[in-house]
Amino acid sequence: MEIFHNIAQRRLRNTLTISGIAIGILALTLTGAMAEHFHAQFEGGVTYFSSNIQVTDDAAGYAGVISLSKIDPIQKVPGVAVALPSIGLMARPGSAGGVPLGLPDTIVYTDPRERDHTRLKTAIAYGRQLQPSRQGEVVLGYDLASEFRVRVGDSLDLPIRPPNANPDFVNHPFKVVGILKKTNTLPDATASVGLFDAQMLLQESLPASFRDRVDPSSLASRITVYGKPGADLDRLADRINASVPGVKATRPTDFVNSFDQGARFTAIAIGTALLAILFGAVLVVNTMLVAVIDRRREIALKVTFGARAWHIGVEYLLEATMIALVGGVIGFAVGAGLAALLDLAGRTVDMDVFLVTDRLAKVALGFALALGVGAGIIPALRAARLDPDLALRAL
Amino acid sequence: MVAIEVRDLTRKYRQGEANTVQALDSVTLSIDAGEFVSLVGRSGSGKTTFLHCVGLLLRPTSGQVIIDGIDTTALTDGQRTDFRGRRIGFVFRDQNLLPTLTALQNVMLPLRYGGIGRSGRNRARELLDLVGLGDVTHHRPGQLTVGQSQRVAIARALIRAPTLVLADEPTGEVDNETSDELLFIMQQLNRTSGVTFIIATHDVDVATCMDRMIRLSDGQVGADERLRVPRGRLTSLR
Repeated sequence: MEIFHNIAQRRLRNTLTISGIAIGILALTLTGAMAEHFHAQFEGGVTYFSSNIQVTDDAAGYAGVISLSKIDPIQKVPGVAVALPSIGLMARPGSAGGVPLGLPDTIVYTDPRERDHTRLKTAIAYGRQLQPSRQGEVVLGYDLASEFRVRVGDSLDLPIRPPNANPDFVNHPFKVVGILKKTNTLPDATASVGLFDAQMLLQESLPASFRDRVDPSSLASRITVYGKPGADLDRLADRINASVPGVKATRPTDFVNSFDQGARFTAIAIGTALLAILFGAVLVVNTMLVAVIDRRREIALKVTFGARAWHIGVEYLLEATMIALVGGVIGFAVGAGLAALLDLAGRTVDMDVFLVTDRLAKVALGFALALGVGAGIIPALRAARLDPDLALRAL
Repeated sequence: MVAIEVRDLTRKYRQGEANTVQALDSVTLSIDAGEFVSLVGRSGSGKTTFLHCVGLLLRPTSGQVIIDGIDTTALTDGQRTDFRGRRIGFVFRDQNLLPTLTALQNVMLPLRYGGIGRSGRNRARELLDLVGLGDVTHHRPGQLTVGQSQRVAIARALIRAPTLVLADEPTGEVDNETSDELLFIMQQLNRTSGVTFIIATHDVDVATCMDRMIRLSDGQVGADERLRVPRGRLTSLR
């Protein structure tokens, strides 16, 4: 209680110090939440893309489309367990360039057999999975359902009509039959449709000059290949490239390495926040040093009545820690609240970029604690070494 | 029985780079257990330095301070702190109390560092009752008069049942009436509990209320007078 009274007694100074720390921890929380968000996305990407080989068309045809006729020759490559068609196209055509943050909303087709092979598992939160025989149905990722505020049984037009849509833009109503559990990664921003619907949408997304020349039932965006147990997927990708003409199989390692950017972003974000916290630490040191000077009479009295140096040191250390912790809790709470608000506001423009996790809470409060202890050491030592004789005479 | 024996006590302070000030110069005296002693002298005569040396807040440059038969100059810093906490109580001129603590908590403060803690709460209440402050135990210093604060300080000085109480100008900031009350309280405590009191003051009227008056002058004992019949104002209170 004495600590709280001491903090309350120097209200302005301590409020300013606590505010400084709160701002630092707020910055850490926001940048950390952003880093956590990207980390979760990258983790999902790594989990998914490290377990399969993505095969695209390498011929002169329209980029982004591959013929399903390539599946058979790929399937025959030694080491291939299964080659499956995959389709992915923008759910908000024309919006991807304007939204650099977050995963773009994507309409996808994933072959049901992938569930037996992929490491990135999904589960239904509401409703049911797609049924292959049915058309006009969609299963939405958690964020997408939140973004469009739709529930199971609602209808959603896909793709989403952009504000400046071309006259020939078409979309179709889909009935929402299921919503996935939140994964914090790729599936959250997907609208999964059946093969026929996906092929139709893929065809419609092609340029008019190309669109009419292709059979939609032979189209996919890429072919996803899973290897047999124990197969080296990088080598398998090389074998596919060597033995199947007109395709480009990307090594899983190359995919995963492209996510290094994410780690760099995290490091920069955390580094920036640490600078802000360092500023907070300087404030704590300053406040506590002034407190030692202000309260040297009190310290001397305590020493007079039997306090040892470590008693005094611990008291000042605890006070510095308490100041930092109060600032940390406030900073984290405000930061988490702000992240939730920004995410809520950004959801309508597909900009869900924060993820406040338990780990982030521990890191933020741990930093606040460490800051308090670290910044409190010098003032605590000074307080502990104070000469009671001089202090008692000083006032 | 001798409570305090001071032998050739010298304390020098460095002042600047080259100058040295001798605050105490070979002071030798002894004080019996249960004595009610005043320490008088002008400002700068060495009263506070003497109290701080005897109170183990300051190490002497040379000489010995023997309390209850223990040569305190031979003790380590930690031992001196423990010794001081257990056996010596202090009352200062002003700003005696911690502003963030209540009167009761201030009285209990020495218990915190003595590892006694809350178990001494009843004793703290008794002492506050004894100094006439049983009804303001939860008041903070800002809500107390200067005289009440000094009485809290007296109660605090006695909380660990010391053998010696050192008071440095305890009546320096109060009017005559309050000064008499404080002196009376200390005298009663001295008489009833046998605690030795050494009270530094520059007020000769206050000093003459004591059993014995030691006069310091330029760091030396100028006079040491036992007052068989105290002459000051306090006589009317007896």
